[in-house]
Amino acid sequence: MTDPFLILDLLLAGAVIALAVATLTVRDLFAAIVLFIVLGLLSALAWVRLSAPDVALAEAAIGTGVTGALLLKTLHHLRYVAGTLGEQTAHGVTPVTPVPMSVIWANAAFCGLITLGLAIAFLDAPLGGPGFDALVADAIPASGVDHGVTAVLLNFRSYDTLMEVVVLLAAVIAVWQIERGLSEAPSPDLSVIWQGFARLTLPAIVVVGTYLLWKGSEAPGGAFQGGAVLAAVGILLLLSRLYVPRPAHRALARWGFVLGTGVFAGVALLVTGGGRVTFEYPPEHAKTLILLIEGLVTVSIAVTLAALFHGREPVAVRAKEARHDA
Amino acid sequence: MTIDAMTLTLFLPLFGAMAAFVFPRVATGIGLVTVVATCGAVWLLALEVLKAGAVVTPLGGWEAPLGIALRADGLSLAMLAMTSGVGLLVSLGALDALRDLRQRQYFWPLWLLLLTGMNGVYLGTDIFNLYVMIEVIALAAVGLTVLSGTKEALRAGLEYMYASILGALLFLMGVGFVYLHLGRLDFAGLLEAEPSGALSAALALMLVGLLLKTALFPLHFWLPAAHANATAPASALLSGLVVKAALYIFLRLTTYVPLPDEILVALIGALGAGAVLWGGVQALRAERLKLLVAWSTVVQIGLIFIAFARAGQVGLTESWKAAALLILAHGVAKAAMFLAAGRIKDEVGHDIIRDLDRAEVRPTLAQFTFALAAISIIGLPPSLGFIGKWSLMEGAMAAGYWHWVAITMIGTLLSVAYFSRVFAGFLRFDRVRGPVGEHQGWALADVAPLTLAIASISLGLMAAPILSFIELGYALGVTP
Repeated sequence: MTDPFLILDLLLAGAVIALAVATLTVRDLFAAIVLFIVLGLLSALAWVRLSAPDVALAEAAIGTGVTGALLLKTLHHLRYVAGTLGEQTAHGVTPVTPVPMSVIWANAAFCGLITLGLAIAFLDAPLGGPGFDALVADAIPASGVDHGVTAVLLNFRSYDTLMEVVVLLAAVIAVWQIERGLSEAPSPDLSVIWQGFARLTLPAIVVVGTYLLWKGSEAPGGAFQGGAVLAAVGILLLLSRLYVPRPAHRALARWGFVLGTGVFAGVALLVTGGGRVTFEYPPEHAKTLILLIEGLVTVSIAVTLAALFHGREPVAVRAKEARHDA
Repeated sequence: MTIDAMTLTLFLPLFGAMAAFVFPRVATGIGLVTVVATCGAVWLLALEVLKAGAVVTPLGGWEAPLGIALRADGLSLAMLAMTSGVGLLVSLGALDALRDLRQRQYFWPLWLLLLTGMNGVYLGTDIFNLYVMIEVIALAAVGLTVLSGTKEALRAGLEYMYASILGALLFLMGVGFVYLHLGRLDFAGLLEAEPSGALSAALALMLVGLLLKTALFPLHFWLPAAHANATAPASALLSGLVVKAALYIFLRLTTYVPLPDEILVALIGALGAGAVLWGGVQALRAERLKLLVAWSTVVQIGLIFIAFARAGQVGLTESWKAAALLILAHGVAKAAMFLAAGRIKDEVGHDIIRDLDRAEVRPTLAQFTFALAAISIIGLPPSLGFIGKWSLMEGAMAAGYWHWVAITMIGTLLSVAYFSRVFAGFLRFDRVRGPVGEHQGWALADVAPLTLAIASISLGLMAAPILSFIELGYALGVTP
């Protein structure tokens, strides 16, 4: 008898490829984004089937949730008629200069070469390579946590993780410094039902996000996943206008963005001395330090992702927006 | 709490960036202090390397395959020194060049994050860590590209970001496959690896990603617009320093895992030749000064890859030195040139080459600086650029590869031709109808670019110590 999971896997793989093709070929941008979100959810399932629950959670929370929200927000801006983007955009016509055939063929050749390289690298690959598994298993008692992935991310290779948080910081600084002029598409008008939905879901999201963070030390979950889920709180607050960013909040927001990176890097430096190098946590305090770092990094990730969704440095509220509020 | 110099080189700019972002009002002060302190940390590290050869710190106390080690040797120190030294002078130049309050607030955090990323690349020994570092660099660099706030800069920045992300993704896919094959990510693992077709394919993916990031012809499409439309200090950093990070990783990877085939080495040289010719022609056609300088970066990148391929596969053990010399020479000279071009644009009010000789003000010292930097980029003695080009041609001649010599000569002639267009604009005074306006011809802001330009020439006199320095702790075949 066929293994039912094999059928599921085949269906999943087929659906993921079909959705990817559909996302790329569909003309309507909104449809493309929706397909992309579905693609992300199914990929998360696929990661579960590949026994990578951490990646699955990250894919669902960041790759699908936050990215989907960012894409939809961008689409809202693109479709907003009038404003300073220029006449053509205002009338829904994006000026498209036709791409020369030579460029198309050159790109095709480039992609072909890349695919060839991927194929060679993949076909010759060992099934289940050596990897870090044995090393991690040996070192985990000294790491302060029980979950392998968390031990790698926050102890063995915490330098990488610190720099990943720095990438997020660089992203939000780069976004904040872009001067967009004064035009901004008004937020969509959300009905009473939406407000009620936000009130109902907000507490649940907070609980889920915190749980993901807390569980991270012994089971799949952790700062990035928890932060992304908590960022949804920010996105809901922004969408429902329960919170409106004001220029006066900028200083606090800046502290929020750097908090995780600052504490992470600060701890890494402060533990040095007495024969210990940077990032070498004393074993008896490792768990506390890791939880402290994870908690604050989660806060920073949540604030940063929500700020990225808002998409700009808060500027003074103008008359038009104020009217929109009322 | 005792912190080693290597950690300081990484963490000083990181903390500086955070402080400059949180306290925007004093960002300039924080930025300058941080860059000076980083120079000091690099100096301390240089002393350690001079004494010990190569310095290694396993971060977190975890040994290499599981953990990540930082390692400094002569080559990484040379890159660090170039980055922080050029960075310091560009920072001084930025004091005058950034007039807008928003630009002054955001330049410092972005530039310091960029410095963190670049220092991380030069100290890194782990290919996944290098991927994270080039992501830090990419985002900070895109931020700097769009700092000028013009529509052209935004468009160029977006294109740059797409190219950069595509390059990083290719690199990451390669890293994934390397891990699948070897089960480890550190350089030592690469050195010990048995050569195989699949491993070569994985490395090829990484190298193509790096070529896209370093803008080797024909993957240079994003560079001219991005570098020409940024503000002058940002252009200087992008052109002088940022493209070098990917180049450096390319050099390291190809030294640890030599290219498997002679044809591949020749292909890389051929792409370099394409860059020299195509970039040279485009620079001849460029209408704006900064665009010309940006195209000359495309040419110089091509030249560095010719230096890499100058003596074929057997010559790779020596060729990296010629490439490294050209990298250092270009970093210093191009930063000087972009700062000088920015000064000229500030004073004259535009940078249209055709109309430079009609300008009513003459920023003489900035023009002189530009010419000095051009001497190094063209490769006239005794500049560092000359030494780099000379060792390129010497190696090619010794290996009997005369075609690389010919291409280098053609490239040199082309660069003389396109820089002459600019010099002609500097020198002809007879086109001005009215009296030339009151202008003293120099300003305090010229000091930083001039220092860089003088360095680009006088460093050529120190070529021998530089050459012996970059070889420190860099024994091929020995586990790094």
